[in-house]
Amino acid sequence: LRRQVQEALRGSRMVAVCQYNSMPDEDLVTLRHYLRKHNIHVKFVLNEVVRPVLAQSKYRNLLPLFVCRNVLLVSPETRAREMLRVLKGVPQVNLLGACIDDTILSRQGVESFARLPPLEVSQGQTVAALSLLSSQTSSLLQRGPAHLTVLLDAHIRRLQDAAGPTEPPPG
Amino acid sequence: KKMAFKMSMALRPVKSIVVRFCPFEPNVESTRKFLQCIYHKKIQATNTNCEVTADVRHDGSEPVVDVTFADGDRLIMKGANLTTGEMLRALESRCNAKDLKEEQKNKKKNP
Repeated sequence: LRRQVQEALRGSRMVAVCQYNSMPDEDLVTLRHYLRKHNIHVKFVLNEVVRPVLAQSKYRNLLPLFVCRNVLLVSPETRAREMLRVLKGVPQVNLLGACIDDTILSRQGVESFARLPPLEVSQGQTVAALSLLSSQTSSLLQRGPAHLTVLLDAHIRRLQDAAGPTEPPPG
Repeated sequence: KKMAFKMSMALRPVKSIVVRFCPFEPNVESTRKFLQCIYHKKIQATNTNCEVTADVRHDGSEPVVDVTFADGDRLIMKGANLTTGEMLRALESRCNAKDLKEEQKNKKKNP
């Protein structure tokens, strides 16, 4: 049993710990089905079996959660938003905490994580913010010489206008 | 002991129960067990309109069971220093008292 738990934990980027209060069997089957659609697997665990496994792994800070009857939701992906959406409709399963990508999160942490934009969008926003700074610097640096150019042009035109009436027109 | 509670507790006079706790704190076991007992199907069957909510926090707050009755009364139990049995007994006695009051009221109306 310990080996099964170890196997399940090894291959998972997301491990969520929930308190399991009794629910009808058909609701449990429905819950498993909806979570499976998002590649999240439901694992019932006995505290006596799972505590020694956790104590020697990176999940040891989740140990306080393992009193009373618990269920683990494990997944090789990190679809926290979908998991929360499914669990919203199941009051008998209460999310207590999770470890997502080697980071221990509380319930609020998981909710914040679910609200994050996807990685590509975040990367795009970071690139845009960084390039905004450098483009602002570039336009600031150009402003001085551009202003000087405008002033010199105006000066030349004034000189030409002043010199123009005194010189006879060519031809 | 728990089975006895499950058979005799009737949640009829209860409007809602909120169980608030911080699962990372060390003193939450009795409160979590209370939540587990409340969800037992026999107890749930006594009042399907009773809303049971688990409020999971992470702010170091104490575990609390907040019961609101249909007549507006509140029962607040701080689970840090109570056992599950004590909390269930307290709720059960209040529910029975309110049921009795309701029965007596009905008897007076229809002698």
